[in-house]
Amino acid sequence: MKAMPDVVRGTPVNTKEVARGKVFTTSYTPKLRYRWDEGEAIGRYLEEFREGRLIARSCGQCARVMIPPRMFCERCFRPTDQWVYVKDTGKILTFSLCYVSWDVKRLKQPEIPAVIEIDGASPGMGILHVVKKIAPGKVRVGMAVRAVWKPKSKRIGSVTDIAYWEPIRK
Amino acid sequence: MIEPPKNREPRAWSGEIPLTSFYTAGAGGQIFLHALKTQGKLIGTRCSPCEQVYLPARSFCERCFAELVEQVEVKRTGKLVSYTFCQVDHNGARLRRPVGLALVQLEGATTLLLHRLLGVSEPAEVKIGSRVETVIKPKTKRIGSVLDIEGFRIL
Repeated sequence: MKAMPDVVRGTPVNTKEVARGKVFTTSYTPKLRYRWDEGEAIGRYLEEFREGRLIARSCGQCARVMIPPRMFCERCFRPTDQWVYVKDTGKILTFSLCYVSWDVKRLKQPEIPAVIEIDGASPGMGILHVVKKIAPGKVRVGMAVRAVWKPKSKRIGSVTDIAYWEPIRK
Repeated sequence: MIEPPKNREPRAWSGEIPLTSFYTAGAGGQIFLHALKTQGKLIGTRCSPCEQVYLPARSFCERCFAELVEQVEVKRTGKLVSYTFCQVDHNGARLRRPVGLALVQLEGATTLLLHRLLGVSEPAEVKIGSRVETVIKPKTKRIGSVLDIEGFRIL
């Protein structure tokens, strides 16, 4: 109870009391199903993953190359114009060392989620993915990385067709 | 300009979000459920300055934030304030028999209690303002849940 702040008034409940049925409780598991439509831009984007390619959309007015692609330029308030292939290399724009998994299990070796600024896209345009093959303490913003693709037979048209990103060693 | 791939089917991704809630009744709810389970009584808490009797009992007044310590037994009878008939369950599946729900002000309480409306199956049988009675399950069937109350029966 050390972490409990002094100012909180209330009635703490402990698990023993709950187990003994001393505390009245109710539990509910809602059925939360979703179905997410890729849409035009993301549909094409993900389809290109099967071929091991990254594709972006460009806007002729602000000259930005946007990835993930979108059919509408949120800066110019007009439709985007062209499909443009970009590279499967980039730079770490920001990253984190994550010691818990997505379902909140403790990890000894941290995962390294990072936003990768894609070569060929406009500055700041990046995708959230995961970096591997580097000691956690050595990761730096600005580091050059390349996509490591799954074998073609294993690709399904998903961002996970890139297994991870690894540093480009010169 | 790159042409989009041909024969491409639109795709959607399906999934499920695993989520389970676990709700404890709290200090006030504990008083209410304990009395309901052990004695079949409906217990509220009074805030004298605000002239309120909250049912179910709660531990503080939501108007003046004062701690509520005065417990009051509320009568089983009261007045039907509003009602509805649900045609679907909480997952959206159509019900074979519509479920009536009643909003009731019990005598002695200033708040409303929501529960099942028993013994009727269509709106024509119901009139707002009717006197109703709370039907409570027999003691052996009570577990300390709001469902220890069966519902409301029109008198």
